[in-house]
Amino acid sequence: MAVKATPAVFSAPEPVVDWDVLAARARGLRRAKAVVLYAFLIAVSLPIILPYFWLVTIAFSAKTGVAETAVLWRSMAVVVPTVIALWLAAAFAQSRRQMWIGMGAVAAVAAFAFALLVGPDLHIGNFIFLWEPDFASVVRSRIGEVKGAVQFPNVWHAFGNSILIAGTQTAIVVTVASLAAYSLSRFQFPGRSAMLRSLLVLHAFPVLTLIVPMFLMLYWIGLLDTLFGVILVLVAFELPFAIFIMKGFFDAVPWDIEMSALTDGASRRQAFLSVVLPQVRNGILAIAVFTFIRGWEEYIFVFTFLIRNTNWTMSLYMYWVRDDVMGVDYGVVSAVGVFYLVPSLILYLAAQRYLMQMSIGGVKG
Amino acid sequence: MAKIEFRNVVKRFGDVEVIPDMNLVIEDGEFVALLGPSGCGKSTSLFMLAGIYVPSGGELLFDGHVVNEVEARDRNVGIVFQSYALYPHMSVRDNILFPLRFKKTPRDEALGRVKGAADLVRVAELLERKPSELSGGQQQRVALARALVKEPQLLLLDEPLSNLDATLRLSMRTEIKSLQEKLGVTTVLVTHDQIEATTMADRIICMRAGRIEQIGTPDDLYLRPASLFVASFIGSPPINLIAGEAQGGTVAVNGAKFPVEGASGAVTVGLRPEHLRFGDSGFTGHIVQIEPMGREILYVVETGIGIIRVLEQGSSATHATGEKVKIGFSPENSLVFETAHQKLLPGAHVHAPA
Amino acid sequence: MTTTADELMIERRGHARSATRMRANFLIFLGPAIVLTVLFFIVPVLIDIAVSFTDLSRSLRITGFTLEQYEKIFRGDRRLTPVIGLTFIYVFGTLAIFNVTFGLILAIATTSLRNVSGSFFRGVWLLPRMSPSVLYILLWLWAVSPAEAGLVNQVLMQGFGLDAPLDLLTSAPIALIIISNGFIGASMGMIIFTAAIRGIPEHLFHAAAVDGAGTFAQIRFITLPALRWPISFVTIYQTLSLLVSFEYILLLTKGGPFYDTTVYALYVYRRAFESGQYAYGAALALFLIVIGVAVALLGWRFFDMERLLQRPRIEVH
Repeated sequence: MAVKATPAVFSAPEPVVDWDVLAARARGLRRAKAVVLYAFLIAVSLPIILPYFWLVTIAFSAKTGVAETAVLWRSMAVVVPTVIALWLAAAFAQSRRQMWIGMGAVAAVAAFAFALLVGPDLHIGNFIFLWEPDFASVVRSRIGEVKGAVQFPNVWHAFGNSILIAGTQTAIVVTVASLAAYSLSRFQFPGRSAMLRSLLVLHAFPVLTLIVPMFLMLYWIGLLDTLFGVILVLVAFELPFAIFIMKGFFDAVPWDIEMSALTDGASRRQAFLSVVLPQVRNGILAIAVFTFIRGWEEYIFVFTFLIRNTNWTMSLYMYWVRDDVMGVDYGVVSAVGVFYLVPSLILYLAAQRYLMQMSIGGVKG
Repeated sequence: MAKIEFRNVVKRFGDVEVIPDMNLVIEDGEFVALLGPSGCGKSTSLFMLAGIYVPSGGELLFDGHVVNEVEARDRNVGIVFQSYALYPHMSVRDNILFPLRFKKTPRDEALGRVKGAADLVRVAELLERKPSELSGGQQQRVALARALVKEPQLLLLDEPLSNLDATLRLSMRTEIKSLQEKLGVTTVLVTHDQIEATTMADRIICMRAGRIEQIGTPDDLYLRPASLFVASFIGSPPINLIAGEAQGGTVAVNGAKFPVEGASGAVTVGLRPEHLRFGDSGFTGHIVQIEPMGREILYVVETGIGIIRVLEQGSSATHATGEKVKIGFSPENSLVFETAHQKLLPGAHVHAPA
Repeated sequence: MTTTADELMIERRGHARSATRMRANFLIFLGPAIVLTVLFFIVPVLIDIAVSFTDLSRSLRITGFTLEQYEKIFRGDRRLTPVIGLTFIYVFGTLAIFNVTFGLILAIATTSLRNVSGSFFRGVWLLPRMSPSVLYILLWLWAVSPAEAGLVNQVLMQGFGLDAPLDLLTSAPIALIIISNGFIGASMGMIIFTAAIRGIPEHLFHAAAVDGAGTFAQIRFITLPALRWPISFVTIYQTLSLLVSFEYILLLTKGGPFYDTTVYALYVYRRAFESGQYAYGAALALFLIVIGVAVALLGWRFFDMERLLQRPRIEVH
């Protein structure tokens, strides 16, 4: 316990510090900072949350011909306090157990309030398009308007088209991109470096600029207004990016395991299939989900390349429902919107941990 | 300079209690080391001192005032991180100048102090360089200069030497120690390296799983370890531990009988390799391996009571593998621990079997 | 027992076999990708160039080769100047306000919260990106609907005492396209900046805090210097993406009223598919294609070429 008596070389002036004042200031600052941050983030997030929330409430509550907003505000009156209460429960809980109990209590109260305030207005009548193929006529007749502009196909037909486009596109992209990315990542061959450089250009190249010549090309080879033509175009446009991402995943597979596969007697192709491919399962999953989402959401190319209503995808169905019934029946439009949005959201949530990788690919750190 | 006190300090991260209840007083101007294996809460304690973590309970005092919530920037503390944490985009000069920027020190005075601090740790000729252009040892010195330039009342060192190579570590050890003596600043060193702790610190606080196992001078920890944990953590090569039953004045282990005084029941006997010697009496075994360590030779001996390590001075082996030996020791060098609570039985000793 | 000649022959046969295998592997692995890429990237570019020198129009028939499209671009088309001006406002307005600045603010704000709360707000800001474009714009159309039931009008009239409903689609269309694109663009910046901020060693912030830096000083001296790369990355790539994309504008305003929100890329589209002037559209598109390639080339410096081109460590095929 040797206390040094040696004088300090720095001539430190003995500062008079009032620790209590400092502590009080720090406490105040910390609180102010938290309040400002949360207030700011809530303020900027409300404009986004509100319309989505409106979409959902209208879909499940609006009556024909009325742009119902009372339900929106009433349910906001339940949801906003609920979210804040959940937050507080999470923030003040001392243990995980307390947190769950607190959140459970809040959720129970909220569910009760919701059932009381909003429950009586809820119905699924707006989802009529799911079981009534000629729903447009029904809706029009309900409000006394007779002539409609658009002949709607069965929604399940559009749904099937979307699934077909997105699914086929995903299957082809995953297969072709995995093969190409493996080759670029793992085989040495003349021209490899040039190919990688052009891949880098292609993966950033804006494909939308090619829409005019692509339209003409499809027209000339007779694939305009066919699902097959659209699928080919979408596949090609997704490909460079998918290859680029997959190459990153292949690059990360340790060489040792492939070398040991070769010494164990496998050929390169066998090693690719049985040893390397299982290692990049995450990559395949990531590009599969994102390619599927792109196919499902695709609007501009299908809008331009597909004309007949039997070729409609969900995006076109949504577009025309909006165009035709808008201003007449918000409820049905919202219901279609919810039906169209939910698969996208689910897929995004499933793949969110790859979002970062898909956003910047192989950028240096 | 400051006197530091932990009073029943608790630190939790979520549901995990890293430090259950810490009590400690560090005197003004003292150099203490927090020693323990990784994850024992020593860095957490350091970060609480720095104001980076806020204690979940209890009180942390500087000169008798509670500082739990005082912000890091108000504490006048200097810290050197394991990774040095030099600002990568700033020159060495700007790095050292950085703390003075927020003290509103006049420009000329600030530059003078930067020069002074740089001279102190001998990096004056590197002031224009970027951290990425420095060697590990140089970065370490710059980090030290940055910590010292604001004349802190408390200097915190978080594993400052672990990223240096062995030779550099040795010289930095000496340098930091003499610097601390010269400045007289209260210093807390966090390390998992017992040599670092014993060579640099006035007092060592040995921690395990968030609790303080023992506080004492390096000698205390080496000669009178309070627990089995401290005994096995301090000392290299590690202490030999022999578990047995003390009954009627002897500890019987696998046939060998050690006369014992001051203990009964289940005990663990600790014998440091450097306290054992080959001789004409003692317990028997044969040498299975010889590990030359430069100035010392470590013999691994297989005995009836398990593998025993014996350290002998000298640079060439005087015994051969396979040789039968007898191992003896002085009773005052033996340590006896209660096996149940793992605590030292003060005053208890064993004698080598005849 | 083999003679030297035999060994030589085996070796030569081996070489030949490995060369064959290399060619086969090339075809199997890269063949499909190359065919698709050539067919749908190179060929369209060539078609675009060729068509831009013709008089292809609504009849979709080429009757002759001509330079009139380029003459029109450089002399005849009076609408082009305001379109290009608008494009600049739109691209740099959106970029400066949302994609970079607001993305940065969101990233800094959400990363200074606890992880759960931060992800919640980031999740909210990702909603527009996660929504199909048709749906996202539908919400905008409802929000800015000139009727009293429009969300903005409801809020303004009931909350702020506005007298008559606003028709933002005609009174502030440019602001609308900037904001609606910006909501999506900001999330891209947010994702990338968040990752970059997470990548900054925590000890730097701790060191700065101990050295006396407050919140803003930490942002200025630690966060921002570490984000120089990501910021230029986002700037370059988002400039390109804003320059060529017109999907949201087409859905929201159809480029109107009149041509008030028709940015260059949308102008190409409207000329080709609304007016049927395919050749003119192709000529206009050529400039975008050139810019696209140029920016993509510029983007090279963001990638770690050495790592990208790293030689495979297995030589055999």
